Amino acid sequence: MGDWTGILRLGTEARNGKTVANDVYFQGAFKVMRPVYHDDSGQACYYILNPGGGYLDGDRYQMKISLEKQAKLTLTTQSATKIYKTPQSHAYQEAEFHLKEGSYLEYIPDPLIGYQNARYKQKNVIYMEKGCSLLYSDIITPGWSPEGERFSYDTLQLINEIYMDDELIVYDHIKLNPASQNMDGLGLMEGYSHLGSMIVIDEKVSHELIDRLYQALPNHLNECKIGISQLPVSGFTVRVLANATQAIEKIFSELHSILSQEWFSKKPCFLRKY
Amino acid sequence: MTDQILSLFQLCDSNFPTGAFSHSYGLESYIQEDKVHDQASFLEWLHAYVNEQLIYSDGLASRLVYEALEKEDVQKVWKLDRMLTVQNLPRETREGTQRMGDRMLNLVESLYDIPVLSVYRERIKAKKSFGHPVIVFTIVGHHLGVPKSTTTLYYLYSTVSSLVQNAVRAIPLGQTAGQKSIQAFQGALIKATEKIQQLEEEDFGIVSPGLELSQMKHERVNIRIFMS
Repeated sequence: MGDWTGILRLGTEARNGKTVANDVYFQGAFKVMRPVYHDDSGQACYYILNPGGGYLDGDRYQMKISLEKQAKLTLTTQSATKIYKTPQSHAYQEAEFHLKEGSYLEYIPDPLIGYQNARYKQKNVIYMEKGCSLLYSDIITPGWSPEGERFSYDTLQLINEIYMDDELIVYDHIKLNPASQNMDGLGLMEGYSHLGSMIVIDEKVSHELIDRLYQALPNHLNECKIGISQLPVSGFTVRVLANATQAIEKIFSELHSILSQEWFSKKPCFLRKY
Repeated sequence: MTDQILSLFQLCDSNFPTGAFSHSYGLESYIQEDKVHDQASFLEWLHAYVNEQLIYSDGLASRLVYEALEKEDVQKVWKLDRMLTVQNLPRETREGTQRMGDRMLNLVESLYDIPVLSVYRERIKAKKSFGHPVIVFTIVGHHLGVPKSTTTLYYLYSTVSSLVQNAVRAIPLGQTAGQKSIQAFQGALIKATEKIQQLEEEDFGIVSPGLELSQMKHERVNIRIFMS
């Protein structure tokens, strides 16, 4: 199992109110740039790069991220994660996050694009202590295919396991398998091509805040379909079905903006990439 | 037919008061959007619900709980109780299922004396476990000596039979159309049970986006006849 295409290890801690790395290691097709501080809050933003330009047959990636007490970290990618055809064995990525008391993690990767005959499995395991905050999102999109098929990837599987003080509190398992499912059918993608998911966990999330977030969501019924629901702990999940990445990003950044205002009285940083 | 199977039948009866009649698991959202409006569209929804959600949650859990009981590994049963609850992201369906688990446990405790059920009750009281009908049902099936896959099949049947009754009231369908739906679905239930035997433990908790969204959206529906 030690045979990784790319490895990334990033440890962060708060030093005099500023979040800095205390451990950075990467090897193979994973890389992080120097942190960017978008404002004066001390929150560090790291961009993950995939110098290979995409995930290929049998590729295996591993990430280990840790936040010490009070560290505040935004983790994102520099561009979309592209999964190409995997004739022999599926591409795989696992990520483990450790959040110590009072830390805050925003993990907002760019969309995942599944190209023709791509098979991919991703597993994120997040260990939080009480009093930590998490904002996670992902977007699954179909890649262009020569035949113009709407869903030409084979399987995209995403698992999120979240533990608080070692108790499992969220288990989120999406497996889209156009190779054997009728994606447009009732209950599946229902005519949409893109799926966005967001998970927010924070002690300050109340029923009233979720109601307010719900009110802020657009309700053009045809452009997208949105659901928001409270988790068994203080927090919520959002799912969005849409036909464009931008439509989902717009909703997520609106929610992110309300939350940042609520928690830190600031605007979230625009993650300039291009 | 053995007496054991007859005993498990009692739990499958739609008159067995667990509260299943007040949960639609997102079906009501589809009815309100007019996507489910007759027997054919209802069966399409039912196929999706059973094959894209139920087999990976309650269905697979039934098999795994039974296997854990055979190995006397109760810790595994409590782990599955937690997994079933935390994978159920829509609040209404999660809390509704928990209430049903609780009511079923109360009823079954007054019918049977099964030590593991008392432990389950204690754990729920102490907030160490949540309560889920498939766990109670499987404990009874195992206790009665009903085979593993039969226990799973009957559990699926009881779920489907309640959903059909709910569809008859909500769409509405005629009683005959309801019975025809149950009959038409028998083959699908057997296939689903067979598929559950083939699943890997890693397949646990797979959800289908549209179904889950309709369950989340139901929380925001103002006029309703179901609690989920």
